[in-house]
Amino acid sequence: MKKTLFAILATTALTMPAMAQDKPKIGAAVYGLNAEFMQIWSAALEDHPAVKEGLVELTIFDGRYDALVQQEQFDTMIAQDFDAIIFVPIDIEAGAAAVDAAAAAGIPVVGSNTRVNSDKLKSYVGSDDVKSGYMEAKYVLDKIGCKGEVVIIEGPIGQSAQISRLEGNMKALAECPDVKVIEQQTANWSRAEAQTLMENWLTAHPDTIDGVIGQNDEMALGAIEAIKAAGLNVTDFAIAGIDGITDALLAVKAGDMASILQDARAQAQGALDVAIKSVKPDYEPMSDIWTTYSDMPWNGGTDAEYSVPWTPVTAENVDALLALRK
Amino acid sequence: MEAKQTIAPGTEARGGGLKRRLAVYGQKYGILVALVLVCLVLAVANEYFLTARNITNVLRQTSINGILAVGMTFVILTRGIDLSVGSVVALAGIVAASLATTSSTAGVAGGPYPALLAIAVGLSVGMACGAVSGVVVSRFAVPAFVATLGMLSAARGLTLLYGGGRPVPELTPGFRVIGTGEVAGIPVLVIIFAVVFLIAWWVLSATRFGRHVYAAGGNPHAAVVSGINVRRIRFLVYVISGGLAGLAGMMLAARTGSALPQAGIAYELDAIAAVVIGGTSLAGGVGRVTGTLIGALLISVVNNGLDLMGVESYYQQVIKGVLIVAAVMLDQARHRRE
Repeated sequence: MKKTLFAILATTALTMPAMAQDKPKIGAAVYGLNAEFMQIWSAALEDHPAVKEGLVELTIFDGRYDALVQQEQFDTMIAQDFDAIIFVPIDIEAGAAAVDAAAAAGIPVVGSNTRVNSDKLKSYVGSDDVKSGYMEAKYVLDKIGCKGEVVIIEGPIGQSAQISRLEGNMKALAECPDVKVIEQQTANWSRAEAQTLMENWLTAHPDTIDGVIGQNDEMALGAIEAIKAAGLNVTDFAIAGIDGITDALLAVKAGDMASILQDARAQAQGALDVAIKSVKPDYEPMSDIWTTYSDMPWNGGTDAEYSVPWTPVTAENVDALLALRK
Repeated sequence: MEAKQTIAPGTEARGGGLKRRLAVYGQKYGILVALVLVCLVLAVANEYFLTARNITNVLRQTSINGILAVGMTFVILTRGIDLSVGSVVALAGIVAASLATTSSTAGVAGGPYPALLAIAVGLSVGMACGAVSGVVVSRFAVPAFVATLGMLSAARGLTLLYGGGRPVPELTPGFRVIGTGEVAGIPVLVIIFAVVFLIAWWVLSATRFGRHVYAAGGNPHAAVVSGINVRRIRFLVYVISGGLAGLAGMMLAARTGSALPQAGIAYELDAIAAVVIGGTSLAGGVGRVTGTLIGALLISVVNNGLDLMGVESYYQQVIKGVLIVAAVMLDQARHRRE
């Protein structure tokens, strides 16, 4: 009894100042902060003008790649009366229960980057992986003249990004019936695994592989290292990846590969604008991303989905993109 | 050498018939026979398997796990286990890489430093992690499983703290030599692994320290009674394992061209698998580093062969599982006979 009383007092004490200041408390639950992409995403969120000017109180929760951890973080946010939640789930299905719980408590949830299979989402700000899969495969196929033999290095089978990017890959491949996919396997987004896989494929298919479709940059970079280790010329291959991580930008600059940039900053800041709008009806978006992407109109912050465009990384824009990473 | 005599089946075999003798040799050399058989099958099934380039690939793909497994052999011989090697791989890799990168954002101020300095620091980081586990195990009598489970978590956390969770790219050509260089057509990775293996083999089979490792694992009480400093041995094996994990971490970073904070996750499992498949007993005191070499090679050959034949990678995991359990069943059968 004493304990419960203490807990009630403690939560009241914690929530009181927030109510007094009338500053929306917004939580961002992300699946994990160990890899570069989500770090850029989180940094962009903290860099949002509304956060910097102190208009909202932002807390980022690291889901540590565990659906259960994310679920518990939702419980915590609901208990602490957060005003809105931005959600990047680890799993498309496992996140649905968390969204349901928040919706039941009347807290709007805005999805970002990764989809969740729930109709209770207020909105979703992300990029369409089918498009990026199509774009990268198209680059590879164009470069080899729509004929020859290619390999596909896939993400973890069954993950939503792998499924969608493969769908895009196949859409582009269907346009080139003379291209044969001679190998297709997962390297679990890992550079080291892709390197081993590619080394073995180069042995099994000497002099026949023309193109490498890596479903993310890490794996495309692993393939490049394998080609170099085999004493072959990287420029004899058409290689593409997705995400636009720093190492890949450097490889694009060196002329080794192509990459499709996924704009983590736009996904994060766009989601925050939509989340604030859902709490403060008179809010106008403060991030500059809405002017950067004219293809993605704000529409009063009420759209069910905002599709952040992909940007092909080219020799022309790579220096500017690298400068943003400093 | 005493240790080897305790497991040598010679005395038993002498009295038995041919069948019995074959069974004994089967147990002793079973894993080597398995490796040769797998190689023969693959050589027939795939025309590229026995090419020089593929053999080089297999050796290259064995090197990093092989080095971890050599360190793990020392630890397991003393009845211990080192679960932290995967995390130490990442920590030593990222610390060394930060000294040997031309990137201004990811590097240590004033860099890049000479490759040898970076490597020395990486080795020290690995040995320091091992020393902490070693002290916890040998002085505070914490079970090795728990002590190194703690280090697995702590070293991964330190890796993320040290690099702010970001990878360290743009490594200097001097540093990358250990991952991509070649001497007379042989990858430097493989040369380093060969040197590590030969030293470990010599230490375990021909030095006093090696004999003490077997004695400390085979019968710790008898070892203490006969004047061996078992605590010191238990401490040193973790330093060896940590140092080798540090070396492997730098080789991995140099091979992939970038030190990643998520590198080496679950590598401890492949290292333990190689040791166990190689016939080293988890009960301590019994085993050889040559067995570990064969175990590590067998894992790589199976992976390589299935890749060459375009078999889904999930089969690789199933086969590895079967090999591990089969090896331990063989080990148990041997124990029962003794």
